[in-house]
Amino acid sequence: MGVVTRKKLLSIIALSAMVVALLLPIVMALPSPATGEEAPVAEGAQKEGEKVEKARDVYYKTEGIVVGAPAPKTTDSPTDYPRYNFESRVLLWFANQQHLYYGSFVLAVPIFCMIIEFMGVVTKDKALAKRYDQLAYDFIKISLTAYSLTAILGGILIFTFLTLYPTFFSYLSSIFRPVMHIYALMFVAESGTLYIYYYGWDKMKEGFLKWIHLSMSVVLNVIGTLLMFLANSWIGFMMSPAGVDEQGRYLGNIWHVIHTALWNPLNLHRILGNMAFGGGVVAAYAAYKFLAAKTDEERAHYDWMGYIAMALGVAFLIPLPFAGYWLMREVYAYRQQMGITLMGGLLAWLFIIQATMIGILFLSTNYYLWQAMGRMRGAEKYQRYIKYLVFLLACGFMVFITPHTMVMTPAELKAMGGQQHPVLGNYGVMSAKNGGINVIITTTVLSFVWYMRGNKVSTVSWARFGNIFMGVFFTCAYINIIFLAIYGYYIPANVRVGLSVPQVATTLSCLFFMFTLNSMMMKGAKQMGPIEWGKISARSQYALIMLATAFTWMMGLMGYIRSSVRLFWHVNEIMRDNSPWAYTHTVGFAANVISANVLFFWISILFVFWLGSLTAKKAPVEAKVGVPGAIPQPAGSH
Amino acid sequence: MSALNNPVIAVIVSLVIAVGYFTLIDHYLMDMQGLDFWYLFRQ
Repeated sequence: MGVVTRKKLLSIIALSAMVVALLLPIVMALPSPATGEEAPVAEGAQKEGEKVEKARDVYYKTEGIVVGAPAPKTTDSPTDYPRYNFESRVLLWFANQQHLYYGSFVLAVPIFCMIIEFMGVVTKDKALAKRYDQLAYDFIKISLTAYSLTAILGGILIFTFLTLYPTFFSYLSSIFRPVMHIYALMFVAESGTLYIYYYGWDKMKEGFLKWIHLSMSVVLNVIGTLLMFLANSWIGFMMSPAGVDEQGRYLGNIWHVIHTALWNPLNLHRILGNMAFGGGVVAAYAAYKFLAAKTDEERAHYDWMGYIAMALGVAFLIPLPFAGYWLMREVYAYRQQMGITLMGGLLAWLFIIQATMIGILFLSTNYYLWQAMGRMRGAEKYQRYIKYLVFLLACGFMVFITPHTMVMTPAELKAMGGQQHPVLGNYGVMSAKNGGINVIITTTVLSFVWYMRGNKVSTVSWARFGNIFMGVFFTCAYINIIFLAIYGYYIPANVRVGLSVPQVATTLSCLFFMFTLNSMMMKGAKQMGPIEWGKISARSQYALIMLATAFTWMMGLMGYIRSSVRLFWHVNEIMRDNSPWAYTHTVGFAANVISANVLFFWISILFVFWLGSLTAKKAPVEAKVGVPGAIPQPAGSH
Repeated sequence: MSALNNPVIAVIVSLVIAVGYFTLIDHYLMDMQGLDFWYLFRQ
């Protein structure tokens, strides 16, 4: 048997082992399937001849055999809430947030890696393929060091739960026992797959073996995504419990417990959020390396890396508000009061901060793209129009962040004639805010389109019509979005709520149709000049760092909001939180804790980056700056 | 194609397509939710 054949065989065995490792936990879970027909009998509760107790599922309203103990009624005592001389909730908050930051990062980066490696495999330009491959390798290298830290933080989180909230954790693990075991097995499978994937990189770099290697990244990401879905089922259960009766007794149907009302919206929202976050962190890493680079080659490499990471991150950032909208809609459908607490009550001010952060994310992205146009000849033609985009973004942003009511002193209240400002108060409603955010996203799409055609001139015969059509389509899209926002003021709330759907569809139409049209127009386009990677202002790199920091902060904020909406419940309406910390923090305190979390994450991730640089085996592949044909084409049609 | 490259014709054709498309989007996406997009105009 030749060396190559043996390698092939070994790689196929490794891939098969990964698939088996992926399926093993699922197969093991089959004896207690979703049907609940073979539910285990509660410990010591069901003796022979004893009457089987049935109860009704709080969410699904189906009947099931009671197989679990009721949710414990805790008291403010060292038994239920052992503590240090510090607020236990803040300790748990910190451990949870750090684990989530790292978990999101190591989940997102292998997905990027898979996409970039795939681009490298399918591209015909060998030099470019090599660069993509190097980039994917750089990505996974960063992820590997962070992976160990994620596991350590997961351990710290579990110990924090066990030592500070033992009664609650005991109840949660009694419900999710099989899920937690599957989770642990999946984690083992994830680790094994990641290490083989990373260490097999050089040995499987060509031909058939490369495809096997790429398949491994698919398996790795399937495992990672499933891991996240399982973890989401715990928080979904805490917010919108199902599969238990009103006393919190488990009814034997594990699928009901996992598949709660908010599970799927949370899954979608988190996966998009993780991807945008991962893109932001890698872009910030590239920006840091760019700023610290000593040579033009290094600058070109990290400029390119930053652009790709940013483009991937923003590709997931654009649909993120819509996923968030779906989540909120499901929250309202599940418990209207919960939705009101979030967006119209106790936590509403946090949503104003969130809106500000979302606005900052899009402003940073646009600013980066405008700066990036500076590295391509021919893009100057768009510079004079950028001020109009700034105007649109600023208007959308200001409407988006305007609160419905203001916090005021009695004198200010009197001077203004009420809690609502006579003019600005009108912008504090969802109708206006939907208009604001859709204008912002549509403008970002327009900036991307300009960037993608920056150094090109279309040569298709219908180029003039294409340009006019694109201009008219964008103009009509803006008019439609703003019209729908204004129209919302004149119709009843039950009709108005539906207007957000055509607004979103308008924005998405711009995204899909205009990107497609642009790609068609730019096919075989004349190049005004190459993209001069590395020749970009330092300001643009600070915009990337801003993007990542804003995202980290927003993620911390949204996690806090989602968790706080349970108010004084560990498990909503099932298990009450009787600790002394079952109250909602002030906005200022929450913001300080979030900032501390962000600061700790960035300091620790800098350490991870530094560790990664110690193990650097390969220098960046030399970038042929300014040579047409060798220029990476990272953004689809670009 | 040459007629479409005439700016006036191009603008008219583009307007017809874009306005028609967004009107359809508004109408049908509201209709799919069981809501009436033309509510105000029917009053």
